[in-house]
Amino acid sequence: MNRKRALISDTFRVKKRRNETKTFGVDINGDGLTDVKSSLEYLKTLFPRKLFNDALPQIMLKHQLYSIHSDKTLVDKEVSKLREGGELLMFQLGFDTEAFGLVFTSDYKAKVLAGEEGKVTRPVVEKFLEKVVTSCTELSFSKDKMLREFFFTDSEITQLVKSGVLTVRDAGSWWLSIPNSGKFTKYFIQGRKAVLAMVKKSKYGEVLQSEIEERRTTTQVKFHMKYHICDIVGAELVESIPSTSGALLRFVDS
Amino acid sequence: MLGFLTARQAGLDDPLRLRRAESTRRVLGLTLNPDRDVDRIHANGVNAIDIDAIEGRYMLSGGADGVIVVYDLENYSGKPQYTCRAVCTVGRSSRYVHKFSVETVQWYPYDTGMFVSSSFDKTMKVWDTETLKVSHGNPYTSQSWVGTKSPKIQLCDLKSGSKIHVLQGHRGEVLSVRWSPRYEHILASASADSMVKVWDVRRAAGSLFTLDQHNGDKSKAASEAVNTAHNGRVNGLCFTGDGLHLLTTGTDDRMRLWNSGTGENTLVNYGKVCNDSRKRLQFTVSRGCSPEFVFVPCGSSVAVYALHTGEMITLLRGHYNNVDCCEFHPDYQELYSGGKDCNILAWIPVLREADLDQDSNADTSEEDWQLTVETSQEIKVNFLKVV
Repeated sequence: MNRKRALISDTFRVKKRRNETKTFGVDINGDGLTDVKSSLEYLKTLFPRKLFNDALPQIMLKHQLYSIHSDKTLVDKEVSKLREGGELLMFQLGFDTEAFGLVFTSDYKAKVLAGEEGKVTRPVVEKFLEKVVTSCTELSFSKDKMLREFFFTDSEITQLVKSGVLTVRDAGSWWLSIPNSGKFTKYFIQGRKAVLAMVKKSKYGEVLQSEIEERRTTTQVKFHMKYHICDIVGAELVESIPSTSGALLRFVDS
Repeated sequence: MLGFLTARQAGLDDPLRLRRAESTRRVLGLTLNPDRDVDRIHANGVNAIDIDAIEGRYMLSGGADGVIVVYDLENYSGKPQYTCRAVCTVGRSSRYVHKFSVETVQWYPYDTGMFVSSSFDKTMKVWDTETLKVSHGNPYTSQSWVGTKSPKIQLCDLKSGSKIHVLQGHRGEVLSVRWSPRYEHILASASADSMVKVWDVRRAAGSLFTLDQHNGDKSKAASEAVNTAHNGRVNGLCFTGDGLHLLTTGTDDRMRLWNSGTGENTLVNYGKVCNDSRKRLQFTVSRGCSPEFVFVPCGSSVAVYALHTGEMITLLRGHYNNVDCCEFHPDYQELYSGGKDCNILAWIPVLREADLDQDSNADTSEEDWQLTVETSQEIKVNFLKVV
């Protein structure tokens, strides 16, 4: 397949679109200060809202930040600060123990309440959002906690699970979750696998970041290419190597 | 460098400052040097290395073929090119040699007259270095630990050779055990059941505490199970030089830094530290540098991380196969690493460039003087004449 690509002469290459504003060299977001919030805003813009009919809040992954900022410990500290300040919520997405999803609290509340319009479970969900989400920074809740600290009854907990705000984790404990996020997880894993396959199939298992962003994506990849690239670089599934022609992504065999 | 020297001379700076600055500069310049080599004795992989703590002169290495070798690391030949020669070897022909692969070797901490080795043939032997015979009934009392395939840790008395104490609490095989360099009675153990426990051997009861990666925040854990230090087997354990922190590596590809007094996870993020070793991984921490460095074998290279920030400094590439063990020589800031390719590589700090003699006569041969500063207890300045 690669040989075929190499044999076609340049004049016949109609698919390639030249990016006029190509930056030379490595594009580092280096300014000394780790501005995690603005990076999150940037990642937010990459999230495809149309795909989910605007029913989901914009979800970013914590390890996507590692691809933008070099100091992981500092990023972790900033994220905890934002979570303690109540601006950011963290979720266990389920497909990987280390993959945490981040959503802005305001977005989350707005979308959940919008989704609950006209449903019977609405008042319980409202109460949950007010009491628990505002004050608590944990990822999961045990039955003890729900009953004692927050005074939710069993039937109310069932309603919360039904509405999608809580997901079962263990017997008697629940993860905080985003309603209707199943589709997100499905498309995300599909897209991640497809992008990784694209990098792996390239000659020598490596491809220039600018080149792979230009490529026409298959129907498997539903998110923006940059979203997936931030994800695979941050999760260390590919290595980002600075080169004179820009960043090079090399597949990591493990 | 000269600025540091004059400041130290004038008393403006603490003497330790120059030493730390120079040590850090040397560690950052670690590289393979064609002038330094280690004798190649092992025919199979090298499993463990230990440098003696008193002089830092002799290095022990244990191999997968059961062979144990003692090397002399000091260069008294006067030439810069030096191969660390093997002083003595416990070869396959020795009567006392281990039947299977040697997993751990360790010098007696107070002198180099004795060393201990343990192996897959389920024995631990105490050797006399002069005669290279297994000895019993030596006059020094000391304790040593043995981590075995069973979940129990046994403390043996080196004087009598008997087991005196058993530490129970782990549920899987114990992969690595270490004494704390700060307190004589504190011991840390890592096992395949994902737990790391810290023990006080003076107590009759169980462990002091178990390290928990989530620091008690049960909400992050995958299930409401016991405290785990890693999400997989814990196969590497190392105390920092001052004994205040403990590093652990696990097969979940993570390395964690813990406060050894409270057991709290300091949450330093090192990223993905590739680890697929089924047995113990011997890694090491630098001593005497200003930001301390961790040297972790990562596949066929050694990764160098800054201890407290977690950033990866560099990858030391040179081995042809997996690296199993590495050891840091604190006096000369050198790193020795051994692996499955049967080589022990010496990583030496890059020397400063030579200053060429400006006026050279036609009669005399041109001489380059190389200044190497070796930082140790007092600053020794060696002039090596290179023709």
